[in-house]
Amino acid sequence: MADRRRINGPPAGTRPPVYASLKESKTGVSERTLRQRQPTELRKFYLKTGMIPTASGSSYLEFAPSAALAAARSNPKSLIPPSSALKVACTVHGPKPLPRSVPFSPNLLLTTHVKFAPFAARKRKGHVRDTTERDLGVHLETALRGAIIAERWPKSGLDITLTIVEAEDDRWWGDAPDSHDASWGMLNVLAGCITAASAAIADAHIDCLDLVSGGVAALVSDDASTAPRLVLDVDPAEHRSIQSACVVAYMPARDEITELWLKGDSSRAALEKSDGRTGHEALIDGAVDAARGANTILTDAVRESIARSFAQV
Amino acid sequence: MSNQRQASSASQVPHLSPAELSYLYTSLSLPKNPIRPDGRSPTQFRPLSAETNILPGTNGSARIGFADGTQAIVGVKASVEKTILAADTLDSRSLAQHGDALNREGEEGSAAVSGQGEWVQMSIEIPGYRDDDALPVFLGEMMRESLVGSVAGGSEEVKEMAGGLKGRLVINKRWHWRLYIDVLLLSQPLAYPLPLLSLTTHLALLSTKLPKLKSTGEEDPFFDDDWAVAEYLYPRSNKQSSPSDAPTYPVRPPVTLLVIAVGENVIFDPNREEIAVADAVLAISITRSSDSENMKLLSIRSIDPPSRLTQPGIPNSENVNMLGGPPASSNQSGGQEEVGGVWRPRRGGVQRSVITRMIKTVLQKGGVGEEVIQGLEGVKVE
Amino acid sequence: MNSLPSIAIPGQRLGSTATYFAGPGTHVHQNAVYASIAGPVVTDAAPPQTRSRPTLRVSRVTDTKHPSPSAATATTYKSKPRYNTLPAVDSIVLARVTRVQKRQATVSILVVLDESTSQPLDQSGAISDKEYMASLLTSAANPENHSNSDDLRFQALIRKEDVRAVEKDHVVMDEMFRVGDIVRGSVISLGDQSFYYITTARNDLGVFMARSEAGNMMFPVTWKEMRDPITGISESRKVARPF
Repeated sequence: MADRRRINGPPAGTRPPVYASLKESKTGVSERTLRQRQPTELRKFYLKTGMIPTASGSSYLEFAPSAALAAARSNPKSLIPPSSALKVACTVHGPKPLPRSVPFSPNLLLTTHVKFAPFAARKRKGHVRDTTERDLGVHLETALRGAIIAERWPKSGLDITLTIVEAEDDRWWGDAPDSHDASWGMLNVLAGCITAASAAIADAHIDCLDLVSGGVAALVSDDASTAPRLVLDVDPAEHRSIQSACVVAYMPARDEITELWLKGDSSRAALEKSDGRTGHEALIDGAVDAARGANTILTDAVRESIARSFAQV
Repeated sequence: MSNQRQASSASQVPHLSPAELSYLYTSLSLPKNPIRPDGRSPTQFRPLSAETNILPGTNGSARIGFADGTQAIVGVKASVEKTILAADTLDSRSLAQHGDALNREGEEGSAAVSGQGEWVQMSIEIPGYRDDDALPVFLGEMMRESLVGSVAGGSEEVKEMAGGLKGRLVINKRWHWRLYIDVLLLSQPLAYPLPLLSLTTHLALLSTKLPKLKSTGEEDPFFDDDWAVAEYLYPRSNKQSSPSDAPTYPVRPPVTLLVIAVGENVIFDPNREEIAVADAVLAISITRSSDSENMKLLSIRSIDPPSRLTQPGIPNSENVNMLGGPPASSNQSGGQEEVGGVWRPRRGGVQRSVITRMIKTVLQKGGVGEEVIQGLEGVKVE
Repeated sequence: MNSLPSIAIPGQRLGSTATYFAGPGTHVHQNAVYASIAGPVVTDAAPPQTRSRPTLRVSRVTDTKHPSPSAATATTYKSKPRYNTLPAVDSIVLARVTRVQKRQATVSILVVLDESTSQPLDQSGAISDKEYMASLLTSAANPENHSNSDDLRFQALIRKEDVRAVEKDHVVMDEMFRVGDIVRGSVISLGDQSFYYITTARNDLGVFMARSEAGNMMFPVTWKEMRDPITGISESRKVARPF
């Protein structure tokens, strides 16, 4: 699926050179940022609806950068910022008539597009959606379809488009990929997408069972000797190695999960002795707790959008 | 367009009437002993025929056919590729080895060249779908994720598999294998094709051989051209009692199982009709843990149940033809209460307790996961 | 009753199904009424002879004054942003004629009038066309109408036999509608995959805005004739309630 319609820049290697002396210096080592939050403490995020007037619903979500990132941006010691913070814009178009080729549907048909801006990640993304983006789109669709009351909207379609302006890192950028490496940042991106899309759908006044929000939990090990421990809302750049992580889309009013994506080996989790749960159960519960936290902000954002539309009248 | 929309849900929207769906749901959700349309028990799989090493031009291949006529062929090909050391992989770790090393970096040593997930490429071809449609992409990512994610933990006898499949692909610091796994479904899928594709990929990987390396260390690699001495990608243990015995594998590729929940019941390997009424659909990837007999969970993904897209049934009380009241127009009414025996499309998600029960049925000792792995061990891979 | 929130957000529990019926914008889960959209909560007291429970609904209309059903007069109607109303059976729509054929006319739906405007219509026609104009114009707040492209609007058909209630056999479509006319119609069916079906077989339904061939706005003369005020030429239409 090479993009032949445009003249693309090189897929990688557009970053500034990194000099070895910089890495050998003390700063190169101490630059690795460690999590300063409590294991159950979530990052703050900003969520606002109705940013795009031409769409029937829209929202914008931005995670607060970790303390180290904020410091590094204001006072750069290195050319590489230590981590990135998620920024997502979501638009909802519709309900609108289905294209003629689509057969009659008694339900609302959902189409989700997740697209990274070319500059969103450290490695440049092309303009054609790649497999990760399509994969995220399917995850998101599963999460949202469970929440939407589709039979209220026969014969119509809803297009949900998410643009990732800045993605999360998969690891600390100074680290080499290692054997535990996987695209952990994608889980955070998905959780953010779910929360943002939920706000945009509420903004578009589409019937939903509940405001569905996304949450991430992970089992991380900061050094090889100790067993991995559970942290909520993990920032992959803050940890040496992630064993296993999980994202859920969760509806608090019904205590139901509409989307679950767990990956990695969760069997060696360090849980308290009294805790009878297995690793994956603890992970799912942790992700649900993170989603509950995100839901409070989501609720406020939706209330705010209703209050704003009152003010317009 | 229509294909693409449907593709994202688990297989196609079923062509069953609301009455049929309701009947099916009721019989599958019977407490304790569900009645499946084909008479299987909840944990029973469909019968299948399998063979391996069918394609001489590949490094490994397998074919699995179900009794309903759906077949999948998997070919695995490997090629040698130069490892691109981008600036970001030339990190403080390798630099630290030149200078006065940090202790932590030193003890990991030069052997810790780790593989990258991108070295395994998976493409799935399903008739009726474009290769960039949601279904093949989703399935491919799902299986690749568990393949490259399975890291064998602390086993002494399988040094080759130390870093999992990714680690196995490393030849030396500058060279590595690239693995192409091409999955071909021979007919339009009659059910969600995940179990078929996963089992076929599993067998193909077991039969995959890589030529024996003759070079050592950091030289440019060259290989023994005698195919007979080629080594298996997934090493076999040598302690066979007799040559007729099936070889044993210390490490096996993961298997992805499709599990649905209907009411209180957990049902495995659903066919198309069964998945159409499922409350929840999960794809659970497992492998046998090398250091213990337990099953190890590698990944879980929820799949959009197609029951959300079905047409609702109309209870007699609202049916004009049955002298009931006028049907409430769908956009306006606030949603009626459930009427027994009348199909309503599933909506909402799934309770955590249900998910836990589904995973437990797979992972527990003597559970379905173990059964499947044992069944696959029974398949003799040439 | 007093415990009802003034503003609901999706997933918020509003009350038990024992005390309320679930109206639009709500759904029922485990014997409780939950909100399914964000907006003001409205309680419609049911007519005492039919129902014993009031109906709860969450309004799509962000109107600060909660319209009480007894005082639903034309004066409470005011321009307000409306959201995403789908055509349903019996809803009154305003549509523009896009194509006239021998057996049917194709229209694209511009506005679905909500209940507060369509209900008084049945009583006395209290709403004038001016207010429909207002509705048409304010619905620009409805983002779908920002787009001029017809494939973003719901398409509908007026079949020859649905044009008027009398003399159905003598209907000539060309004498009923012209391309560009604005028609008030009532939805009779959700139709097939691409078209809704609309009828104008009522006195208050039919063409209510049209331009003559000279391009001037015409005024209705009889139930089947409209006249250009400048050239004085009459053209035939199926006119919506001329008097």
